[in-house]
Parts: sequence; C-alpha cells; structure tokens
Amino acid sequence: MKKLLTLTIAALLLTGLSMQTVSAQDAESIMKESHMAYYYAANDGVADVHMSIVSKRGKERVREFAMLRLDIEEGGRQNYFTYFKKPSDVARTTFMVHKSNGSNDLRWIYIPSIDLIKPISADDKNSSFVGSDFTYEDVSGRHWLEDNHTLKGEEKIGDKDVYVIESIPKEEYKGFARKVSYIDKATKLPLKEEYFDKKDNLEREFTAENIEVIDGFTTITVRKMNNVKKGGHTVVTFNKITYNQGLKEDIFTERYLKNPPREYISN
Amino acid sequence: MKKALIEFSIKKPWVVISIAVLITAFFAMQFPKIVIDTDPQNMLESDEPTRLFHAATKEDFSLYDFIAVGVVAEPTAFTADQLNRVYRITEEISDLDGVIVDDIMAISMVDDIKQGSGGSVVIEPLMEYEIETDEEAQQIYTRIMDNPILRGKIASEDGKAIAIFIPIESKKISHRLSEEIRQITDSLGGNADYHIAGLPLAEDSFGAEMFKQMAISAPAAMAIIFLLLFLFFRQIKIVIAPMVVAMMSVIWAMGLLILTGNTVHIMSSMIPIFLIPISVLNSIHIISEFHDHYKKYKHKDATIRHSINELFVPMLFTSMTTVAGFISLALTPIPPVRVFGIFVAFGIIVAWFLSLTINPAIAMLISDKTLRNFGKSDEEHGVLSRVMHSFRNLSQKHYKGIIATSFVIVIVAAIGLNMIIVNDNPVKWFKQSHPIRIADVAMNNHLAGTYMNYLVFEGDDEGAMKSPAVHRYMEKLQAELAQADNVGSTTGITDIVKKIRYELYSADSSKLAIPETQPEIAQMLFLFEMSGGNPDDLFKFVTPEYDKANLWVQLKNGDNMAVSSVVKRGNEYIKNNLPPDGVTIKWAGLPYINIEWQNQMVTGMRNSLASSFIVVFIMMIILFRSIRWGFFSMLPLTITVMAIYAFIGYIGKPYDMPVAVLSSLTLGLSIDFAIHFIQRMRMMHKRTNDFNKTFHAIFEGTGQAISRNVMVIAIGFIPMLFSTLVPYITVGSFFFSIMVVSGLVTMLLLPAITQMFKKSLFKPVK
Repeated sequence: MKKLLTLTIAALLLTGLSMQTVSAQDAESIMKESHMAYYYAANDGVADVHMSIVSKRGKERVREFAMLRLDIEEGGRQNYFTYFKKPSDVARTTFMVHKSNGSNDLRWIYIPSIDLIKPISADDKNSSFVGSDFTYEDVSGRHWLEDNHTLKGEEKIGDKDVYVIESIPKEEYKGFARKVSYIDKATKLPLKEEYFDKKDNLEREFTAENIEVIDGFTTITVRKMNNVKKGGHTVVTFNKITYNQGLKEDIFTERYLKNPPREYISN
Repeated sequence: MKKALIEFSIKKPWVVISIAVLITAFFAMQFPKIVIDTDPQNMLESDEPTRLFHAATKEDFSLYDFIAVGVVAEPTAFTADQLNRVYRITEEISDLDGVIVDDIMAISMVDDIKQGSGGSVVIEPLMEYEIETDEEAQQIYTRIMDNPILRGKIASEDGKAIAIFIPIESKKISHRLSEEIRQITDSLGGNADYHIAGLPLAEDSFGAEMFKQMAISAPAAMAIIFLLLFLFFRQIKIVIAPMVVAMMSVIWAMGLLILTGNTVHIMSSMIPIFLIPISVLNSIHIISEFHDHYKKYKHKDATIRHSINELFVPMLFTSMTTVAGFISLALTPIPPVRVFGIFVAFGIIVAWFLSLTINPAIAMLISDKTLRNFGKSDEEHGVLSRVMHSFRNLSQKHYKGIIATSFVIVIVAAIGLNMIIVNDNPVKWFKQSHPIRIADVAMNNHLAGTYMNYLVFEGDDEGAMKSPAVHRYMEKLQAELAQADNVGSTTGITDIVKKIRYELYSADSSKLAIPETQPEIAQMLFLFEMSGGNPDDLFKFVTPEYDKANLWVQLKNGDNMAVSSVVKRGNEYIKNNLPPDGVTIKWAGLPYINIEWQNQMVTGMRNSLASSFIVVFIMMIILFRSIRWGFFSMLPLTITVMAIYAFIGYIGKPYDMPVAVLSSLTLGLSIDFAIHFIQRMRMMHKRTNDFNKTFHAIFEGTGQAISRNVMVIAIGFIPMLFSTLVPYITVGSFFFSIMVVSGLVTMLLLPAITQMFKKSLFKPVK
C-alpha cells in the first residue's frame, strides 16, 4: 500500500504536476521514506563510529564507539547497543536503547568503574548525545508524525536533486520550532537539515558529508552537525559498516551490557 | 613678556577675545567625537596580567558578566502562582536582546540531577513547564535544597527569595537591560518585591548616571558661583569674565582630550568639575584686586596694570603648584587617572593664561560709566571686612594659642590618618536609597551572593582535572573558603561529580563523596552527559579537555576589603597546603579585578602625593628664596591634607577611588592661599617697611579675596552634596572642606607665625 502511494506520487511528480498541487500528505510520505532510508536501512547494522566534537575555540574531543542496531519492526521498535572505546577513561562503558515509537524509550548504561548497570532517563530526547552537537533524537530519529510537513520546493545540492521540506512540530517542542530538510530525490536520504529556534534563527545545521553504497544500502558515512548558535561542530564518521549480520535480540539485554558481544565489537 | 601680554589685552581686547573664541570653537567642535567608557576594568592597563587572566578565564569557561534579578515574597516564594510568574518573567527576559539565553540560571532554566523511575539517574529541567499546584512548588523547593549546586544560588534556604542570573553579551548593555527587565517584572511580577543587582549593572549604571549628574552639577556650580560673584562685586559685566575663563578652560581641556583620542572615563568626566573652581580662583583674585583699587586709580587700564602686577607671581605659582599636584597623577599606574591628571593640568595652564588675558580684555570693554559705582569706598565696612578684622585681632592677640592648637590638630590628625580604611565597591558608589543598593542588600541577605569570583585550577596535561587528588584538594579548599562569612557558596566540578554519584546510589549520603579513581570520576561525568546533562553546564566548571577547572566563589559582599579577606584566606590555604603536582591555582572575576586596581590606586596615589608634595616644597623655596618661608607656606597645606584625611579616618569613610584622586586636588588648592598670603605680605612689607601696617593691610585686600574664594567655591559645590552618586558627594564635600580648612589655617596660623617671628621674618629694609 505504502509503496503504491509512493509510486503514485512519483508518477504524479513525473507527469510534471506543479508544486502547488502537491499536498501535505506528499511531504509527509517523503519524510517517512527518508526516515526509513536513514534510520531503518536493512534489518540490522554494525559500525565503528568515530566522533569528533570540536568546540567554538577549535579544541577537539574524540569519542570512539562500536554501534549495533537491530530493527524489531520496520519504522517502529528498534534496539541500539553502544560500546565505548574512547576516551580511555570511559572505555568499556556500554549503553543500550530500546526505542519504541509512541511510548518512551528505555535506556541503560553500564558503568565499569563501579560495575553498575543503571537505567537512565529518556524523557528528554532533545538533550545532547554524549556531549556532542547531535541530540539523542538525531541519532535515533524523530517520528515523522510528530511534525506537520510541507513541500517547499525542489533544489539541487551539488548534482543531486532534492525536495525541500519544512517541518513544524505539532506540539510546542524545545528541540526546534522549524526544520528544513533537503531530501535526496534518488535515495531519500537527508543531505542537509536546518534547525530553527522560536525566533527563527538558524540553530544547527546537519550535512551529509560523505555517502557510500554499502552492501547495497546507500549510507551517509560522514555526518556533520554544525552548531551555528553556540559555535563548534561535531563530525561523526561511520567505519566498517556491515548490514544484515543477523543480530539476535538477546544481545540487547542487560546481560550483554557487562559482557559485550565480542564477535561484533573489536577493540 | 608679561607686560606685552597685558598691554595687548588692554589695547586690543577684541582681538584677544576673538582669538580665544575661535580656539574655543575649534575645541568645542571635537565634542561630537566623544567616546565614553565607564568600565572600571579600564582602570588597569589593557595588558595588566590580572585583566588578561580574567579575560582568558571568561573565554576558557564561556563565562559572561551577569545581571542578578532577585524575587522576594512573604511568607514564601514557593507557590504555584509565584513560580509561574518567575517562569513567565524568565521567558520574557530570554527574548531580550543581548541575553545569553542558554546560560540563564533560573528555576525554569536549570537542570536538576535526580533519580527517575526504576532507579535511573535523570538530568532534566527543574521546572520545565508552568505548574498547577503549590505542592509542586514545594517539591521544586525541596529539589533545590537537595542540590548543592543550586542551593542558596537560585533560591534562598528560607524559601522567601528566588534568583535569576542573566548572563549578558557585554557589561555595556546592563543598564539598558535592567530597565527592560524592570518593565517585565512590573507587568508580570504580582505582589513580590523584585530587585536587580550585580557588579556589571552597578558599573554600567554608574556611567549612565554619572553623565546625567555631570550635566546637572557643572552648570549648577557655574550658576551658583556666578550668583555669589555678583553678590560680591555687584557688576554683572565684570563677573562674566571668570565664567568665560572657566568655560573656555573646560572646553579646551575636554576638546584636546577628545581630539587626542582619549575616551571619557569615569575619571575624566570629572575634569569640568575640577577645572571650574580652579580657574575661577585666579579670576576672583584679579577682580578683587581690581575692585579694591578701582576707586583709587579711577582708570580701568591703570587698575588692571596694578592688579596684574600685584598678582602675576602669586598666580603663576598657585597655578604651577596645582599643576604639579595633578601632573603627578601621570606617574600612577592607572591609565584613566593619568589622562585625568594630564588634562586637568593642561586646563589649569589654560585657565591661568586666560585669566591674565580675558579678564583684562573684558574689563576694557566695560564703559567707565558702568563702572561708576564699582569698587570699594573707604567708608565701606562690609561683613567680610568685619570678619577679617576679627581674624586679625585673634591672630594678633592669641598667636601662641593658635600655634599650640595647630600642634594639637596635627597630632590628633596623625592618629586619624592611621585609622583610614582602604575600601571600595562600585555598588556603593550609589546612595543607600538607590535601587541598586537596596537590591544589593536584599539579595545578599537572602541568597548566596551577587558577586562572583573564580578560582582557576590549571593542570599541566589534558585530563588533569579528573584526578581524584585534584578533586579532594578542591573539596578541602571549598571547605576552607566556606568558613569565611562573606562566602555564600562555592561550586566546582567536584560538586557535580559528588551529586551524580549520590543520585546514582539512590541518594545514599555516604556516596556524596569523591570517587577513588580517575576512571570513576570520568565515568560519573560521562554519565552526566549521557543522562541528558547539558555539556555546556559542565564546561562552566571545567574545560572540555579537562586541563583546567573553575571553582566559582560566590560572595555576599563586594567591598574590596571583604573580597580581599576571602582572597587572602584562599591564598594562604594554597600556600600552606600545596596543590597536587602540576596544578596551579589563580583568581579571576570582577571583584578580584577591583581589588587589584584598588591596590595599584592606593600605592600609585601615595607615590604621586609624596612626589608632588616635595615638588611643591621646592617650588615654594624657589618662590620665596627662603627655606623658612618655604616651610611655613607648606603648613596650611599639610594641616589641611592631614585634617581632611584624618576626618575620613575618624568617621570611618572608606578611602576609595574618589578620595584617593582628591588628594592631588587638596594639595594643589590648599597651597594657593598661603602663596597669596605670604607673597603679597612680603611685597607689601617691601613697600611699607612697617610690619604692623603690612599686617593690617593683608587682611583687607588678600584676606577678603581669600574669603571670597572660600565662599564661592565652598558654596558653589554644595549642590553636589545632593547627588545620588556617592563619589560626587565626596567631591563636593572635599571642595567645601579644602576651602574652609585651608582658608582658616591660612588666615589664622600664618598670621600667628608672622606675629611670633616678625622680627626675623620682616627685617626692616634699609
């Protein structure tokens, strides 16, 4: 059904329908597709992540972690497992998220120095992810139904044709007041996103810095978040990406927090 | 040269006046280029290490100057209604231009570290949305009291007061912002009291009010001086001259200051107020002399020639000594004081020159008809003349008593000088009834303080600030500082680590302690970042590289003396208990900068006062060609300086910036009367060769001129006593006391001394 809808839209667009007649529904389905392409590629994924957080003054902090993802339902529940390697004084810290749309996510952290597993609150999706310029929501995705989307036009970014879509939260949201996404028509991946605050000042700007096709899935391997408001930026580089490894759901349980699955995580 | 100048002024008055007006116009044209600077930080050289370190600290930890808003409500501020008001007020303040929204510290903006469901650690806004019930308000209160990072800081322990700390882009906008905040609290505030405080606000508001005061005080002083002169001389055209001289001197000095690219600082804004009396003094002497002798000579030019001849040397020396007093300020290490000293000195030279030219020129333009009734008749016995008679009788009959009394005064003053307390606080530049002062008292009574100092820990490598040794040391230093009365609260990275650990172990108070290992500290902080904590909140206390940490030391009292004692306490602890290897600890913060420039001010002023005292003494010896006369001439000055500063010591008024700067004025002005008295007494004695005649005459001419001066200046600056700014009151009081004291000492002690030593001081000329 969904595919049919997409096909219909594509067909309509191809027939050269003017912008004005493209309804909100169309923008929403583009955003949904984009969400799927970006956050739900394949059934599971494994990667080594290098995160460079650069402050306003140009000082760099580095975080390195392995990241495992398993989709429980397409576009729905999803599990994440993160194993930190750097900085060295937090090495062996692990972090797990059970994401479920609609209700609150569940998060746990394992603190190796005191050998303790603790749930941590997931109320505030807008808070920074491990001190970077990305928020938790940037990492795990914001559900497309939480915003009203409008197709503002079409543009070119580099040699790629993009949809320009404006999203406004349905309920007042501290994360942003308005977001403009530039969605690659071909891959549906966001090439650029702009986050505006209440006063419509640009706060943050996401850009896809490098895109590769891995195991048949087009993947943004270098992601940059430029913190326009505060100064500074974060660059996240995904290395050694593999898809469809057949991750088991039981990896994403408290037991593995203390003893991470070594077959997927190298030091 | 002197003759040529005077003759020119007498013969070509219009030319003299035209040239003066043209030059004045040129300098007046510089005024639109004025650059105002009210930042006390500029009291220090721009490359002063303290200042550079403070700037680096602000940069390292993204710190801003802040305005503190205090909300005081009885019986408690923790009701749903009150908190919602604070919530809305904070929202409105966030929309103001120049506010660093992300760093606002307020109940509705800060994060709290607490336990969530299922034993989780949650870092989330303390009050994210408006609340419904008073119970929720009470819960918020409990959360604050349970959080050492927030307790006392954003709410008082008695629950009556709430604070909002508003970081701002620049100190220069704090006055404007405070007015906008006032509008917000007026419309949304409800019944609570709202106070707006903070050092940056005091400093910026002082600048704003200072210029208002200047616009009132200077013209008011001019008006009163004009009126008094008119009362004395009853001839409006004659008394216009001193006004013109004063105005021109001020315009020339300020014009040159602006032309040379100097900013008008708190100090230099006072230049007019200092120049007006100094420039009027010379003119009064000239007019007095003219007035006293016009009836005798009957011709304007003859009278003028006589007056200038009589006054040229004393006027030159009174001006030179005052110049010496002010130019010595150029030796101080404080840039605005240097600028002030140099341009006041320039203005004095201008005033001297203009007195000698403008006064005669204007007098020449007055028709003889107008002057028909001008001048003193011999039959006249005015009040002044009677007062002078009693002075003469007193110093003739009781000269021993006067000299003995002077000795007693010197001894009593010497004791008082030792009681002087050196202290300053920009907040106290405002009168006690000023809203800024009231806010200061109210907020510092309830809360942890509106004055923020920083103790910066610098390690020699990245990650040094995660070491348990550093944390333990910081904790001990905090405990030490907490014992000082003035310290309302100290907050450091250690407090955050301990708080996270405490909440992690389900509020087990035994876990409110520093972890044993570096990884544990690192992981506690990592947990903070993972649990929704804003990393920027951490980086107010530690650099992202963890090579430096910043301990916030919040003070309730911004008096330099009180701040110094905290700084000393900290420094002593650091000296006696060395920090862990590789760690150095230094102070920063606005209150700390203020004590630093005060130290420089006090020593700078002492040196400049001492050097100008010596210079003036040497000038007196040269002028009178006698060491003994030189010595005597220094007595009125010495006694005046001692008496005034001893008075300050006795009444416990702090020796602050204005008091320090006024020492050079005191020195420069109090010598003047002595110069006139001695110089003219000796000139007269040369003519009369009779001590008794001379003694009699000096009280008539010079005595009356001096008493006119005393009254004109003392009364002229009385309006300053009603200023809302304490430094202005101080300046007004000083003018009053300098005039009265040095006038009295000159007219009593000097005659008494001449009586005592008349035989050797006034040998009959053969």
